[in-house]
Amino acid sequence: MASNAIDQTRRMLSLVTYLRERPGAHVEDVARAFGITPDELISDLDVLPLCGTSFRGGDLLDIDTDGDRIWWHNPDDVAAPLRLAADEATALLVAARAVATLPGLRESDRLALLRATAKLETAAGEAAGASARLSVTFESEGGVFADVDRAISERRRLWIRYYSPARDEVTEREIDPIRLVSVGHTYVEAWCRRSEARRTFRLDRVAEIKILDEPSAPPQVELRDLSEGLVQPAAEDPEVVVEVGPGGRWVAEYYPHDSAEELPDGGLRITLRTPEPASLRRLALRLGGDGRIVSPVQLAESARQAAREALAAYADDQDGGDRPYGGQYDEDQAYDRQEQGR
Amino acid sequence: MAIAKAERLMNLALCLLGTRRPLSKRELRESIEAYVEAFQSGGAAGSDDSFNRMFERDKDDLRELGLVIETVENLDGDVGYLARRDSNRLPPITIDAEEAAALGLAAKVWQQARLAGAASGALQKLRAAGLPEDADPYGAHSALEPRIPVHEASFEPLMLACRDRRPVTFDYRKATAARPEQRHVEPWALECWRGHWYLAGWDRDRGAERVFRLSRITGKVRARAGKYTAEVPDVVTVRETVASWAGESADRTARIRLRKGAGYPLRAKAAAVRELGDGWDELEIPYGHGLDAWLVEFGPDVVVIEPAELRADVVDRLRAVAKG
Repeated sequence: MASNAIDQTRRMLSLVTYLRERPGAHVEDVARAFGITPDELISDLDVLPLCGTSFRGGDLLDIDTDGDRIWWHNPDDVAAPLRLAADEATALLVAARAVATLPGLRESDRLALLRATAKLETAAGEAAGASARLSVTFESEGGVFADVDRAISERRRLWIRYYSPARDEVTEREIDPIRLVSVGHTYVEAWCRRSEARRTFRLDRVAEIKILDEPSAPPQVELRDLSEGLVQPAAEDPEVVVEVGPGGRWVAEYYPHDSAEELPDGGLRITLRTPEPASLRRLALRLGGDGRIVSPVQLAESARQAAREALAAYADDQDGGDRPYGGQYDEDQAYDRQEQGR
Repeated sequence: MAIAKAERLMNLALCLLGTRRPLSKRELRESIEAYVEAFQSGGAAGSDDSFNRMFERDKDDLRELGLVIETVENLDGDVGYLARRDSNRLPPITIDAEEAAALGLAAKVWQQARLAGAASGALQKLRAAGLPEDADPYGAHSALEPRIPVHEASFEPLMLACRDRRPVTFDYRKATAARPEQRHVEPWALECWRGHWYLAGWDRDRGAERVFRLSRITGKVRARAGKYTAEVPDVVTVRETVASWAGESADRTARIRLRKGAGYPLRAKAAAVRELGDGWDELEIPYGHGLDAWLVEFGPDVVVIEPAELRADVVDRLRAVAKG
């Protein structure tokens, strides 16, 4: 990760303290302790000898390295451990509190987090104050989480019944779990033995779970960087165009899309790609009068057909005429790519 | 080439931390190489102003890193600066290996640059103070990856406004509105729920508490001068408000028919399920705001029995789709 001047300064101040206690420290070890690459550390070590501890000058830090070990020849007492800044305390405390509330987390991990949080609050003092103004909740299914967590640590295969919103069906499959990922909701990334491919499953869609006796043996797969989100449509996926009125603008917030053009009535024309366009029939039905699928036409027609079939069951109802439509959405129904993860 | 900013900040920090007496601006300007080089005497006119601006910015940057820099006036009225060691020292803190591993996991959670930097900075300060290092960095913890997503550009300015208690203005487009409207808000707290960020605060125009979804803020967030006019509550409940938007505050019950094998999420929420024997089940489910839109998603696999109001809403929606 590219480091800016602020982060580098912050790091170098801590580095000085750290190095004073560890004469002859190894570059590899120090880099690991600071969560940086050896190259980043070397570039810090290039700057430090140009920094002085006294305003008179001539009192520069005599720190050098042979590329393997690091020596500080004139250690100075300027290097006491520094207090935490408000943002530092906030970043660590908010994250620790959020992780501690993850349902299903091992009790020993939760207790360790809570102890660390309490100590950190004390050490941060006033700087901890603003951390209450930021909070994060991770959603998870505690029981499912605990089983997946156990299966990962014991390297065992899992059997699940899993709900797929795209096809509105529950299917059985065996999976070899790789990791648990929480991004708002919690997911298990796993090797699916039925499709022989990597899949991501949202825990609240697991209807049933069992830990099997067979060992888990996921093939070595490169872990994806999830910073861009779990949902990443591929270029070769079919394109779908949806036009929504003002009441359907939420679609652009929930569905990753290629473009969203403003329409004169305050609506949007949204172009998106999905490997399984049929899954968008649900969206067309949900939108009601707030939007419609423009293309592909077969998809638009299948939504109309589904609506006509559904209406047949209400054939006896009086015609109530048109009524205004609410613009509510159900956050749970946001499209994602569990089934199609690649 | 100009001397790198990190080197300049580092020298300023070390000078302020190392001194026993306040140092004047002039002393600092003459002894820090980066300032000497950039503002040599006899340089361009106005260089005093630009030095002053740079010096102020540098002090602000160091304060963001947590440094307490005091401004002291001596008997002659000259201003000096110093960072006293006792006010800058981390209080003693002893963290065991298990707690350290937990903090290591927490430090990786942020995906927002400023907070990710702050979290690793905090961990580095703790490392320097003796935080145990991971004996087994690829141990059990690597199987769990919590991530806090931040995609909204308005996050950082709002976070700072909440921290510093500064009123803000921004353009906000309500869920169903075509055009944004300017809002004047005293920000209280930010909360992330189901991967989306929300702001709770006092809406000055409406004279009431409001919750805003960050993805609906269009354009820039601007900080305003002045104090808050409304009292900040001790507990801010963003999540309850958002949950009620999402129709989770169901207070009634609906009866529906559901085709066998379909609608698992409806079954998971059902208070009662009865087999009807003709390929259909009858379910009692919680009925709150937004249920009509959700039921329509299941198309011909769901038929509403009662209440009549819900039945009418679902029929209306289906008609709108059928008309296409």
